[in-house]
Amino acid sequence: MPLFGIETEYGISVDSKGASDLMDESRALVKAYPGKSASPWYYQGEDPRNDVRGFHVDRLSQDPEDALFDAPDRKPLPVQEERADRVLTNGARLYNDHGHPEYATSECATLHDLVTHDKAGERVILAAAQARMEEKGANRVQIFKNNTDFHGSSYGTHESYLIGRDLPFPDLLAGLLPFFVTRIVYAGAGKLGIEPNGSPSVYQLSQRADFFTEEASVDTLYRRPLVNTRDEPHADPRRYRRLHVICGDANMSEFATALKVGTTWLVTSLLETGWKPPVRLVNPVQAIKDVSRDQTYKWEVRTHERGNVSAVDLQRIYLYAADNLFRGRGADTDWVLTAWESTLNTLESDPLSLDDRLDWVAKRSLIADYAEAEGLDWSSDALRSIDLAYCNIDPEEGLYYALEQSGAMVRLTKDDEIDKAITQAPANTRAAIRGALVERFSEEISRIGWSKVVLRSKDQAWVADLDDYLTPESVSIVMERLSTDSSLADFIKFVYDNGKTSV
Amino acid sequence: MPVTEDDRSTKPAGPVEPLRKEGDETGPSRPDVTRPDRSDLLKRMKNVDPDQARKYRQRSGQ
Repeated sequence: MPLFGIETEYGISVDSKGASDLMDESRALVKAYPGKSASPWYYQGEDPRNDVRGFHVDRLSQDPEDALFDAPDRKPLPVQEERADRVLTNGARLYNDHGHPEYATSECATLHDLVTHDKAGERVILAAAQARMEEKGANRVQIFKNNTDFHGSSYGTHESYLIGRDLPFPDLLAGLLPFFVTRIVYAGAGKLGIEPNGSPSVYQLSQRADFFTEEASVDTLYRRPLVNTRDEPHADPRRYRRLHVICGDANMSEFATALKVGTTWLVTSLLETGWKPPVRLVNPVQAIKDVSRDQTYKWEVRTHERGNVSAVDLQRIYLYAADNLFRGRGADTDWVLTAWESTLNTLESDPLSLDDRLDWVAKRSLIADYAEAEGLDWSSDALRSIDLAYCNIDPEEGLYYALEQSGAMVRLTKDDEIDKAITQAPANTRAAIRGALVERFSEEISRIGWSKVVLRSKDQAWVADLDDYLTPESVSIVMERLSTDSSLADFIKFVYDNGKTSV
Repeated sequence: MPVTEDDRSTKPAGPVEPLRKEGDETGPSRPDVTRPDRSDLLKRMKNVDPDQARKYRQRSGQ
């Protein structure tokens, strides 16, 4: 069964406040969230400095420019206090990540759930912002689901995919690099301008392409890699790896989110069969920039084996291999294969007609309309403000939502489903157990994380180990019990009576 | 500025099949392929602060 999730660092803008205030403002927003939750986070066993290539680094690279925004008189808080982590009843994680409110979806097993829960995350963050604005002395808050401030600071939208540990990392790297570089033709969210200090009038496919300097590394804050080598599976480390993808953009479009995650999931499945792509890019770090910035929309990349190849044709190599091996294996697989093929065909013949489903095209269309209506040059700051406003998650202000409300965007989920996902986890993944423990026993949770939940009931302490619950069947057995037992003590007794020392 | 002959295509890209939900056995519904009116969009764009992007500064994230 597939398992994937998205974690989004949101941009936050507070009236009369600057970048130096954002650590405090983001933390205040997270703490203001009115929904039921449990904390603190279970950090034991987590180490972002473990590298999947078999070593551990003593520190991660930090952006030296970002340190300039540290307020000189601000004392750093302890990590747990700074992050203000909370786990919600839908199994998701909400916290302050270095000045960005971050929402990490629960683990999802279907693309419909993934799209729905990603959208639920927007509503959670918006609710937190609205609650924050109601607090005495608080200023107006705006939230943006994007990846750049146009001044050289980038922040991420990361995807996680559960994959087997057997796949050798060099094969994973060689398989992913050409795919990630060219995926931006449909997954890119669009950006006006090149950073840092590049042409302000070039409209790019990708928000993030400017910020990658390495092919692979464990870093995420500085000298960012196309393939992140962090080894932090949040599952049984003997069997699984978590592919942590940091090179993607934040998508507002439901279709773009589904296609981005769906194609990546199929590519990981492909690589796990031992399939290898027949091409390697000459310079992947430069290639992603070239594709992103290409104004002719030919999107050519240089390969060692075949010379120049279009990004669309390179994506087709993966598509045809996946179609050959996986067509008919399930509804999500078939949806991805069909959508992938038709999108690539249209990108080749008439890319600007995809403004109802790809973020970069929809945004470009708005910018072009506004430039024409107002007589603006494409280097204008006002057009960059339109770029930013596209990602404003407030449905009353944001331009993506204006498009959606006018019926202009393809929808793959429904508003009532998104509302339900704010408080309810996907029923078929371990997130359901985590969320139910929060819903039923939040007062008795002493620490909570992706894999572990520590609970205390009078004189008993007990660790719920969620690592084994990777099938819908195993999840449903526990969920049935959780919905009937009247107390935590009864539930713990059931677990012990069934010969287990944890869930 | 991007070099294309026609900036605004009027040909829709084709219908999109819905994603299957768990337990959902219904077939795909016919999508609406007509293009909606965009005049309200222009009004909302005119409400955007033109200096918003210039003032927007963030901490570097992951």
